[in-house]
Amino acid sequence: MVRFQGVAMRYASGPEILHDISFNLEAGSYHFLTGASGAGKTSLLRLMYLANRATRGTVKVFGHDIGNTSRRALPALRRRIGVVFQEFRLLDHLSTRDNVALSLRIAGVKEDVIRAHVAELLSWVGLGDKLDSTPSTLSDGEKQRVAIARAVIGRPSLLIADEPTGSVDEAQGVRILRLFEELNRIGTTVVVATHDQRLLSKFNHRVLRLENGTLRIDGPAS
Amino acid sequence: MAARRYDLPFSEDGSGRFLPWMIALMVYLAALASVAALAAREVVEQWNAGLEGSATVEIAPSPDDATTEERVAQVLEIVRAARGVESAEAVPAGDINRLLAPWLGTEIGGLPLPRLVDVKFRSGQAVDLRALSGALTRVSGARLDDHSLWRERLRTLGRTVQVAAIIIVELIAIAAGATVVFATRSGLAVHRELIELMHLIGSRDSYIARQFQNHAMSLALRGGLLGIALAAVTLGVIAIISRPIGDALVPGVSIGAATLAALAALPLIAAGIATLTARVTVLRTLRQMP
Repeated sequence: MVRFQGVAMRYASGPEILHDISFNLEAGSYHFLTGASGAGKTSLLRLMYLANRATRGTVKVFGHDIGNTSRRALPALRRRIGVVFQEFRLLDHLSTRDNVALSLRIAGVKEDVIRAHVAELLSWVGLGDKLDSTPSTLSDGEKQRVAIARAVIGRPSLLIADEPTGSVDEAQGVRILRLFEELNRIGTTVVVATHDQRLLSKFNHRVLRLENGTLRIDGPAS
Repeated sequence: MAARRYDLPFSEDGSGRFLPWMIALMVYLAALASVAALAAREVVEQWNAGLEGSATVEIAPSPDDATTEERVAQVLEIVRAARGVESAEAVPAGDINRLLAPWLGTEIGGLPLPRLVDVKFRSGQAVDLRALSGALTRVSGARLDDHSLWRERLRTLGRTVQVAAIIIVELIAIAAGATVVFATRSGLAVHRELIELMHLIGSRDSYIARQFQNHAMSLALRGGLLGIALAAVTLGVIAIISRPIGDALVPGVSIGAATLAALAALPLIAAGIATLTARVTVLRTLRQMP
């Protein structure tokens, strides 16, 4: 599903953020990515969700060597990846419904199909009564659930979440990670970045641990 | 017009706020330039038509009126006998006096004025002007003026006005395009983060370009309609003001259905330019993104 081999990354002419990263994520797996603030978690995720290209090494996603993949081919690959961003990155001028519908609209799905799917998914994340609310009227927990709904509406093969529990309390954090487990059970490969070790210990998944830009792979956290 | 839903918050940024006004101004100027060129061309054509198919024979005055009248009669005889001539009439001396009155006054009876013979040719029939001119040399002081010098000057004037109008309209189109490029680039900079987000959730460049081009089209259409409405008002006012003096100076100018359609199409042309320019600008800029 995702294979990194000897990957290094730097932004423009800045210092190298990631050094010699190698790992392999099997399809249908559930991984945590952890590390201290500034360890390079977001940079590693950006490589995985195809926001950046590696400076060195090979990144393969869905079997495609991203270094040799044309820009034109990236949108189709990105549509197979759902991303929950750290700061939600919702579009403030759009309603909850339109935020979630965005990735389907981009993919050219018909409006009647979009309408049905969006309503169903927002009910699933407990926001069935907030379809027409705008993000500015939602709590952080609700925004997070909208961001999750947007990430999974296209039934991605790979779900990447960057600190999805960062702005919610522990109980809600656990609920979000259980939600990801549900998706994992139906075949979605899940990668969740978190620095919350207490939360990690409640789950039994493999952990990718980043320290100063280098990676260590641990077995299940508990 | 129903509000269009955009994924990007165009209504919240000021990058395109001035665009309708700029387009309105440009469509207004383009409409006025087009009408001015059209009017000039029509006037020139009417003048030219007045000169075409006719000639004037000028007979220099002599001290003796009887001799002059005799020469006028000779000229009429020669001209009427020529091939291709439909009619030849001596312009009455009274008419010549009346024509010159605004410049020379009414007391010009004693002045030695030339006599004129107005010649009309049959349309579609070739006239040997050189032969006619040669035949007229038999009459002392008679000279044929076939208006070719004036016609050539009018043709040049007509062409110049047309070329000038085309250049003006082209410059306006270039300025409109540049304005759209500037507004689109500002919009791209303002919405850079959201554009990255759209890319990351699988958007193709063409989807994002469509957002910008539809927005630019809508703004340009609004501006274009305002511009053409202002131009219509301006032209209406000019027509009303110039009515009392119109035909005294220039022949009447009418705007035909084809011209009206072309003018009405100006907002659509502006919208087309804006759409295409925005699309190309966005696609070129996005190509540089990861």
